[in-house]
Amino acid sequence: MMLPVHYLFSTGVFFIILLTVTALYCILFSRNLIRILIGLELLTKAVTLLIALAGYITGHMALAQTMIITLIVIEVVVIAVAAGIVIGAQRHNQSLDVRTLRNLKG
Amino acid sequence: MPVLLIIVPLLALLALNLPWMRLMNRLALWVGLILCLTQACLVIYAPAFFLEAPSLWLGRLFLFEPSVDYLSLVMFLAIAIVGAAALMVCRYSIHTAAEPGTCANNRFLVINLVILALTGMNGVVLANDLFSLYVFLEITAVASYILIAAEKGRDAFEGAFKYLIMSAVATALILAAIALLMLTAGDLSYVNIKLAIMASPHSGVVLAAVAMLVVGLFIKGGLIPFHGWLPDAYSAAPAAISVLLAGIVTKTTGVYTLIRIVISIIGLSDTLENLLLFIGAASMLVGALAALGQSDFKRMLAYSSISQVGYMVLGLGTGTVLGIAGSIFHLFNHAIFKSLLFVNAAAVEQQTGTRDMNRMGGLAEKMPVTGCTSAIAFLSTAGIPPLAGFWSKLIIIIALWQTGHIVYASLAVLASLLTLAYFLSMQRRVFFGKLATGFESLKEANAWILIPACALALITIGIGIGIPWLFETFLLPIRSLL
Repeated sequence: MMLPVHYLFSTGVFFIILLTVTALYCILFSRNLIRILIGLELLTKAVTLLIALAGYITGHMALAQTMIITLIVIEVVVIAVAAGIVIGAQRHNQSLDVRTLRNLKG
Repeated sequence: MPVLLIIVPLLALLALNLPWMRLMNRLALWVGLILCLTQACLVIYAPAFFLEAPSLWLGRLFLFEPSVDYLSLVMFLAIAIVGAAALMVCRYSIHTAAEPGTCANNRFLVINLVILALTGMNGVVLANDLFSLYVFLEITAVASYILIAAEKGRDAFEGAFKYLIMSAVATALILAAIALLMLTAGDLSYVNIKLAIMASPHSGVVLAAVAMLVVGLFIKGGLIPFHGWLPDAYSAAPAAISVLLAGIVTKTTGVYTLIRIVISIIGLSDTLENLLLFIGAASMLVGALAALGQSDFKRMLAYSSISQVGYMVLGLGTGTVLGIAGSIFHLFNHAIFKSLLFVNAAAVEQQTGTRDMNRMGGLAEKMPVTGCTSAIAFLSTAGIPPLAGFWSKLIIIIALWQTGHIVYASLAVLASLLTLAYFLSMQRRVFFGKLATGFESLKEANAWILIPACALALITIGIGIGIPWLFETFLLPIRSLL
């Protein structure tokens, strides 16, 4: 059974906003490098949901699915590289605190 | 057959990474150089190659249909030239110690990633719909994150992390904009989105999408107020990678994409024009003022880069043919002279072991070629006739004057004077004057630095002198785009 579109739309928008706010809070206010990466993941999840919603409403589910699958693959690559960089920074600073990344300024 | 610009480098990458490592360690550099030089020669001598449709079997194999115009040709040339320069600097400054656990050395890995980044940028230029644009932007960005951290220093990880976070947020904004445009147009090709936007230019969804797209590209291009990551990433990256990043990566992913999207999709409204002019002027001035106070060589060049990107956005903001042509011309010139300055910075850093300009002095005595080419590059950046930078800045300022933005035109002239001021200070502290103590046994860098430095300097002088011819063949065709 298909759900009515307006119901799906409002629920979708609610979760997109919730995810975005959580992600931005996570990126801006947490001091832990890993948590910042989790924030990035949440932000991408919000965008994924938006794409799925857009595809559903306009009836282009095939296009939306292709995009989402590609997006997931790319996102995994980005997060793997990011985790590698965090590990490197941790080895140099012996800490995951974002305040140790203040060497460069001027 | 422009698809080959993506396929051939990818096949070359695959071939390089087959298990015959010992041989490939030596061959990788030459493969990269041949790819870059072939691309440059094709653009100069056989531009028809890019404009013809793909042959039947290629068209069947790939659904991706690229579109090529004169703007793309200029970008292909810039990508090829800067790529070749960066590869030669790799040969000069990146050590060849073997990576633990493999028989591939560090330089081999860096060269592979440089080729991947060049492929990604070719793709960005070729892209004809927003989704492939996003994929290629990410390929370029991921390759550059790894490249910044390639030497595994403490600062390198810090710079790479800052770049990664800012760039990932920018990507999320661009993707959200793509989703909203899909909601309006139901399709992602440039043409269809343009039609959908023209049908309903004032709907809230379209305005939100355009705003997110433009902000995302501002972050990628490192414009004020989103420039925080740029000096850190440029100064922490290995010398060869700074050449690539400053010369072409941020310009392709940020500025070129902005120009392309404004021309092909969203068009210029009054609000967008004012926004572009304001952000461009702010970047131009803040970048130049911040560069005045730097003592780190590469950091100063990074702020100078922000300032020059301001000029390009200012040119785009005029919305006239002349302004956009000037903007693209400045993009190309910037790719040449900023790469040259970073090549010189690589030579100075490698030979003296420091980037602190206060500890240097009189290096031109020991490194005459580096000192001389650096003078040519900074005069071109500051807009001294008859070098290339003068003409592109002149075109942008004339375009501003013609559209009645007299205040912005005067600010552009002022920023040019500031550029001259900080570069004169740099040249005096690093190359002129008495030789600093401790540098008595300094030697000139070897041929891997001198060849790209001389070639880039010759291109800068050549463009400056050949402008009457270039104006006919290179700038006027851009009119057909608008």
